[in-house]
Amino acid sequence: MSAAFFYALAGAGLFSIGLHALLAHRHLLRKILAINVMGSGVFLVLAAMATRNGIAIPDPVPHAMIITGIVVAVAATALALVLMLKLTAETGQAVLPGRKKEDNP
Amino acid sequence: METLIAGAIDVALALAVVGLAWGALASADLFKAIVLFVAFGLVMALVWVRLNAPDVALAEAAIGAGVTGALLLAAYAKLRAASPDANVARAGGMRGIGSISIRILILLLAAALGCAVWTLPSDYAGLGKEVAANIDRSGVSNPVTAVLLNFRGYDTLLEVMVLLLALMGTWSVGATAPQRETAPGPVLDSLSRLLAPLLILVAAYLLWVGAHAPGGAFQAGAVLAAAGVMLLLSGWRLPAALAALPLRLALAAGPATFLLLAVITVLLEGRLLQLPPLWAGRLILIIETTATISIGATLIALFLGAPPGKEDRQ
Amino acid sequence: MDIPWAVMLIVLPLAAGLMAFVWPRVAQTLVLCCSLAIALAVAGLALQLWHHGVFHHALGGWEAPLGIGLYADGLSLVLLTATALVGMGVSVYASAYFTLDDAHHFWPIWLFLLAALNALFLSADLFNLYVTLELMGLAAVALTALSGGRDALAGAVRYLFATLSGSLAYLLGVALLYHAFGSVDMATLAGRMTPVPAAWAALGLMSAGLLLKTALFPLHFWLPPAHASAPSPVSAVLSALVIKASFYILLRLWIMLFGPFAGDGVAALLGGMGTAAIVWGSVQALRQTRLKLLVAYSTVAQIGYLFLAFPLAAAAWNAAAVLVLSHALAKSAMFLAAGNLLHFGGHDRIADLDRVVQRLPLSAFAFALAGVSLMGLPPSGGFIGKWLLLEAALAQGRWDLAAVMLLGGLLAAAYVFKVLGHAFTQAAVTHEPTAVPARMEWAALLLACSAILLGFTATPLLSLLEIGAPFGGSGP
Repeated sequence: MSAAFFYALAGAGLFSIGLHALLAHRHLLRKILAINVMGSGVFLVLAAMATRNGIAIPDPVPHAMIITGIVVAVAATALALVLMLKLTAETGQAVLPGRKKEDNP
Repeated sequence: METLIAGAIDVALALAVVGLAWGALASADLFKAIVLFVAFGLVMALVWVRLNAPDVALAEAAIGAGVTGALLLAAYAKLRAASPDANVARAGGMRGIGSISIRILILLLAAALGCAVWTLPSDYAGLGKEVAANIDRSGVSNPVTAVLLNFRGYDTLLEVMVLLLALMGTWSVGATAPQRETAPGPVLDSLSRLLAPLLILVAAYLLWVGAHAPGGAFQAGAVLAAAGVMLLLSGWRLPAALAALPLRLALAAGPATFLLLAVITVLLEGRLLQLPPLWAGRLILIIETTATISIGATLIALFLGAPPGKEDRQ
Repeated sequence: MDIPWAVMLIVLPLAAGLMAFVWPRVAQTLVLCCSLAIALAVAGLALQLWHHGVFHHALGGWEAPLGIGLYADGLSLVLLTATALVGMGVSVYASAYFTLDDAHHFWPIWLFLLAALNALFLSADLFNLYVTLELMGLAAVALTALSGGRDALAGAVRYLFATLSGSLAYLLGVALLYHAFGSVDMATLAGRMTPVPAAWAALGLMSAGLLLKTALFPLHFWLPPAHASAPSPVSAVLSALVIKASFYILLRLWIMLFGPFAGDGVAALLGGMGTAAIVWGSVQALRQTRLKLLVAYSTVAQIGYLFLAFPLAAAAWNAAAVLVLSHALAKSAMFLAAGNLLHFGGHDRIADLDRVVQRLPLSAFAFALAGVSLMGLPPSGGFIGKWLLLEAALAQGRWDLAAVMLLGGLLAAAYVFKVLGHAFTQAAVTHEPTAVPARMEWAALLLACSAILLGFTATPLLSLLEIGAPFGGSGP
């Protein structure tokens, strides 16, 4: 078994840890960190498995996908942070408000 | 012996990555969590180097750890300013049965993913051979750049649109707290004067070298953004005359050039983004140059948060 | 010369979006021209598909699996038509709805959303679909939060987390498929697919991610707050198009990649979730006191119908496609009409809808027509879709599914008449009305009329759906 599989398992682990944190935490900044960790986990699986064979002919397609993914992640993070700040300005707390009573009696 | 050391490094890095992520997500102090996250990003960059992905390592260090870290810290500072008890450890969270069942589900998921990964075939059947066969016609010799800007250029076109879209969304939500103009300390002041031109030079180098070595528009754009963020932190602001139309032109230049090129290729070659092999290298350089400017400007504007000129009016 | 209509569908809104961003003053005219151009391009594409069969376009000149391919067949055409029609209606509506400041922000993001939708429905590459999903998702979230307000912001943030985690689950599935079979092109993968654990994991991950984005029960928690508190034109497009995009991807994946080996168990599970969605969504809609929340829960219920097609397989895919189109038209009309009522009265409490039928006859009529399609009454697009679905269920002896469909129709009638009933009567508290611009009323009415007219075009629609045999398993 090679290092590639080990890193890929780490990637799966990161994805799971991130998902747990996303569901368990209420603070929005922590949720944003969790999403980023999940993303890194996916990228790690992509790249790690690409080195399975040793480097006879390295495969650049997963690398290009990861770069694309990193840029998309930073774009999403920026938008999420701005929304979080605006929500905090409105409600005073950086958490998602619970259900209001009059919506679903 | 070498493989043993290499293996040990790999195990250490993988454990470090998972450990740092766990620390960042489980930390009680929000600031500590962000710092651990930035450290996580830097160790990820080392992992990318170990996995033979230097382009990704550059992108992760510059964008994943650098720009994201800056955005998180800026947001944290604004959060602290808005509500002083933002440093609340875990504002509630799930209780009792819900928490346990989530943990069990996640464990099952992790096990299933591990099993799926483990059973992947050990002989690799990726697209490396196809890329190597066609790279001579792509205009560049760096395979990742070839994939990003030629073979799968359409994805990159959409991706620069995503980045600009995030900025449009940020501007539409509206400015939040007013930016306080503090005079920069002497260290930051002199450092930014020294580093900013140096960073611009590094960005230009990364852009140029991306055609045949690790580098490229995204990495260069992120380094430009670093220079811009440093200038912003030391008090510099865009002059009001440049803050409206010229800024928007700079932001849209990259995506617009890419799109224009795409339209021209449809008209001349019949296929979207079909770069003629003779011109491909030069066209890719043009796209990457305008993209670098736009990416840098977009990341700087995302860091600022509010449209320039709006934040002072609060 | 063969005009590449499909390419135009993607390039035009992107270009218009960039121009609207740089020159906000021309944005509104640009959008209205662009919507018209998109509609014409879809018509052109339809003719092209009719005469030449499916449309393949290897982007960059590189054939898959190295490059990315565009692909258009009957199914893509139906969804592109929905995008074009709803796009036009919402563009006209939004031109009168937003304040000037909001409008300057709205137009470029709106155009990018249209581009993302078109790009998604034309893509044949799994990773490219991820990028279009993110473009679409971020645009949708930004539009949801556009007018501000606590509810809209909270709804947008919840929506953002749901859409991001869905995309990441989808991407992990794509990564596993790439490393198991060596390609992200759907046609190539279809040829290489075998039921290894990685494929099962990919099925689970991608389905979970896409189901979260489509808001199928029980993953629907984010939809009512987001769709109800967004600005009305945005709610219309979210319910009509954005959630259908992830459904479209799921449908393609099922037919081409996973269906052959996933078997009846997974199909039954999807059918079960669909049933639960219909019942839960309709009951919740009945309990609502606010109009936009009622319409949002109605969306949750109507999405359930689409998933009833999975256990019914080949016979019911046509029905699902027709339902997608009819629901897009009807639900967008309903949200726009609800928006008019909200604009008129300053509130959207159902009990206090004060003699709306007399004072806003066009909007009330639009709401009623949209309701006819949602209930599945003839003549309407909704009737055709539900009839086809019912036919498939009865042909396979699935009395349980038929019963659920009938129950859903009855509940839909109940909540539609609940609203209309209050619209006829005088409220306890009267108030000063705000005038509603004619454009907004007519946009809602015309979309509702097209939902009804769809009922008369069943035969041409079904023959268009046959182009490329999207449900025959060939696909991209």
